[in-house]
Amino acid sequence: MFLGSRLMIAVAAIGALVSAGAGAQEYPTKPITLIVPWPAGGSTDIAMRAIADSASKHLGQPVTIDNKAGGGGTVGPATMAAAAKPDGYTIAQLPITVFRLPLMQEVSWDPAKDFSYIVHLTGYTFGVTTSAESPFKSWKDVVDYAKQNPGKVTYATPGAGTSLHIGMEQMASMAGIKLTQVPFKGGAETNAAVLGQHTMLQADSTGWRPLVDAGKLRLLMVWTSARSPNFPDVPTLKELGYPMVYDSPFGIGGPKGMDPKIVAKLHDAFKKAIEDPAVIATLAKYDMVPNYKSTEDYKKFVAEVTESERKVIDTLGLAKKTN
Amino acid sequence: MNGQTKAPSKLNNSELWGGLIGLALGVFVIWSGLKLKLGTINDPGSGYVLFYTGILMCVFAATIIAAAITEGGPTFASRWQDARWTKPLLVILCLIAFSFALEPLGFLLSAIPLMVLLLRAIDPVRWSLTIPLAVLTPLGVWWVLKRLLLIQLPSGIFEIG
Amino acid sequence: MDVLLNVAQGFGVALQPINLLYCFLGVFIGTLVGVLPGIGPISAMSLLLPVTLSGTPESGIIMMAGIYYGSMYGGSTTSILVNIPGEAASVVTCIDGHQMAKQGRAGPALGISALGSFIAGTFSLLALMLIAPSLASVAIAFGPAEYFSLMVLGLVVLTFLTQGSMAKALLMACIGIVLGLVGLDSITAMPRLTFGRLELIDGIGLVPVVMGLFGVAEVLINTEQVIKRDIINTKITQLLPNRADWKASAGPVGRGTLLGFFLGILPGGGAVVSSFASYALEKRLSKTPERFGKGAIEGVAGPEAANNAAAGGAFIPLMTLGIPPNVVMALLLGAFVIHGLQPGPLLITQNPGLFWGIVASMYIGNVMLLVLNLPLIGMWVQLLKLPYNILFPLIILFTITGVYCSSNNVFDVYVMIAFGVIGYFMRKLGYEPAPLVLAFVLGPLLENNLRKSLILSQGDLLTFVQRPISAACLALAVVLLVGPLLPSLRKKRELVALDEGA
Repeated sequence: MFLGSRLMIAVAAIGALVSAGAGAQEYPTKPITLIVPWPAGGSTDIAMRAIADSASKHLGQPVTIDNKAGGGGTVGPATMAAAAKPDGYTIAQLPITVFRLPLMQEVSWDPAKDFSYIVHLTGYTFGVTTSAESPFKSWKDVVDYAKQNPGKVTYATPGAGTSLHIGMEQMASMAGIKLTQVPFKGGAETNAAVLGQHTMLQADSTGWRPLVDAGKLRLLMVWTSARSPNFPDVPTLKELGYPMVYDSPFGIGGPKGMDPKIVAKLHDAFKKAIEDPAVIATLAKYDMVPNYKSTEDYKKFVAEVTESERKVIDTLGLAKKTN
Repeated sequence: MNGQTKAPSKLNNSELWGGLIGLALGVFVIWSGLKLKLGTINDPGSGYVLFYTGILMCVFAATIIAAAITEGGPTFASRWQDARWTKPLLVILCLIAFSFALEPLGFLLSAIPLMVLLLRAIDPVRWSLTIPLAVLTPLGVWWVLKRLLLIQLPSGIFEIG
Repeated sequence: MDVLLNVAQGFGVALQPINLLYCFLGVFIGTLVGVLPGIGPISAMSLLLPVTLSGTPESGIIMMAGIYYGSMYGGSTTSILVNIPGEAASVVTCIDGHQMAKQGRAGPALGISALGSFIAGTFSLLALMLIAPSLASVAIAFGPAEYFSLMVLGLVVLTFLTQGSMAKALLMACIGIVLGLVGLDSITAMPRLTFGRLELIDGIGLVPVVMGLFGVAEVLINTEQVIKRDIINTKITQLLPNRADWKASAGPVGRGTLLGFFLGILPGGGAVVSSFASYALEKRLSKTPERFGKGAIEGVAGPEAANNAAAGGAFIPLMTLGIPPNVVMALLLGAFVIHGLQPGPLLITQNPGLFWGIVASMYIGNVMLLVLNLPLIGMWVQLLKLPYNILFPLIILFTITGVYCSSNNVFDVYVMIAFGVIGYFMRKLGYEPAPLVLAFVLGPLLENNLRKSLILSQGDLLTFVQRPISAACLALAVVLLVGPLLPSLRKKRELVALDEGA
């Protein structure tokens, strides 16, 4: 049947070719690229693939994922802000580092000006793990070891300036220890690094979950406000004496200057996507819950986050040197 | 490269110039590396690997230059002997014209003239073959991509394709 | 016994008519995208992902795996016929494969690459069935220091790919590394060597570079010659490899398979490294290394077996650890998760039907590919009989379309034209493109891992020799580098190598 219908399709194709000039079609008329600034296979990547797949049903065009990892999740959005047309065919996941990194160093983008914010989607559950073969049974073991061997404790993060990096440094300064950060590109890489004991610890979002479930990694803590129902025995940051909560909420955005109609269309499709039970189930695998914010609320939220991040960065002494 | 005439004068030696271009690139890479900051060995910066790669480039380029000076090499003229250099130039010009026309005119309207040009300009193919080939192959590519693989090619301002 | 039961169960799933149909569709589309230069399995799979979601998880994943496998077969076709690698892993196939085509031996080259791929694919599936879980540790034994040393080894192996001057090859490799580093720094997100061009922030794409250096440059070189116009100037003698070809290829296929399988397990450039490592190995072992680069069938058989075996090996970290070693595997991982499955250490025990079904379907897919590809060889060879003045506009059309499709960006077409011109002058001056392309792929991995290992070791360079795997890679690199360098000090390297072998 496949080959038999080819001629028919060819005839139809020529027909379509002739009639295509009849009228401009409405957005979207071709596949949409969604940049995920993390390597393929991590928790963000898989969550975004599920969301994109559901959104594509509402948009009537495929939403393809383009993994542009690096720079703690900023390489992708920065590339988009610099090079993509605001036609709605290139959008990106915007992790919190997009707002934080400009406070820490020279960057090529301005979070206040260079993006069209579309919709806020969800947030992460972060945690710190170590290999099951490691001598560290609890966070206290890590602190004790680090006190005797300053700088010897290495931890893998999905990039410099990520919440994981900032959070670990905050903990280190409160505990009076020195840790060494090794920036990877994302979850798939940090998993391999800690499994192979190339770094002693891994600080990352829930991409480690299948490995923790299988007993190959040991989860030392989670960074949520309450214990995760999936890991009832694992303490939170607060319980360990660090009064902090990190969830790095994220959404999607496009390059600046997008047509509000296109933004609205994307907003609606992605809003429906995070209401899709199949998507919610996929997110739940990684301890993520939908956290919907409309286009307007998302814009306000970005301004708030930037302010609160500025304070944290200043206290840690990681702020950009102004000279 | 056997049987090519040795350079009568050193400046005509194509090997020498290849090496010099390599050396210039190497120096540029070193400079770019320095500008991007080397960082420290505990935490290498963005320019660290560029800087050392640049040094290696200079070393290899210097080897090539040394060999060119001591052993000589084929001249530019000998490398282009019997070559119709206008033909590659023509192909490149066609490609550049195509790439500028692609988005405004759309894939089909730019690919069909490109095919006609290429088929006729280098070693002319007879018209009775040129026309069907130039029309059917872009149409076929367009169809396979759009219908089988769901890849959309630019349709241009006339919305054709 | 357990394994046999599982395999039987797997074939039960894979042989269901609907799954056979999906498998066929997958390998058919895969062959198509493999043959079209520029359009790789990644773009086809991500665009077709929604289609695959319509059926059961097994059908969808079987189809995706079929696309991947099919493209691996198709990728070598253009390398051999018109000297344009369909993907990075078949760059090496160009070197001897296209020479064979020029000598009228395109049939045996295509045949050995299809059959070699089949043998390698079969072996790696058997290995996947029998020893997958125990090999998971290989994937994680490689940390930053090990990767750095492996990349160094890979770059040293480059010197085997060249016929001409070693200095020129090494210079090209360095340029390849530098080109690979263009764009935002993967650690600090600083723009590097972008010259203020926004398009370069994203780095230079592999597809336009390869299409330019190989495809366009090849066309330019051919159009300027008046006399030698056809790709083949001798008669086509045979369509399939003969007994002598098989005798020459048996060893390379076997060694290539092993090399490819183990390197394929490593996340990162496993398939690419394995293909040219196999080429280098065969050239080193050969009694007549001077034939390499001039149409030696071993130079096609080994690398083709290696890159297909690597495709099988790549399933190991995905299936056993949930760590995808390349983007294609990550797409499969995405398909698993969207279907509600959790890849990871528990996948095989929790969903045995799915795991074994996929493995069995890959085996069936391999058979289908062989059946699909062998008759096509005759057709491909006929294509070479086309006069060059008709063939080259077609090559240009396919490359330019492929490059545009790979990114939907005209800038990439400019990049391709620029590299076409650069490639033309490189050929004229005796610089070879293969080392540049391979260094371009490995460069960013080399840099990133070097920086990470120095952070990890606190700046202690000894880390590279203290870690056993890393030390072994570096030692091998030194041996390889010093070996061929010695005779090259004298003038005719190839002749000396011949004496050594005799």
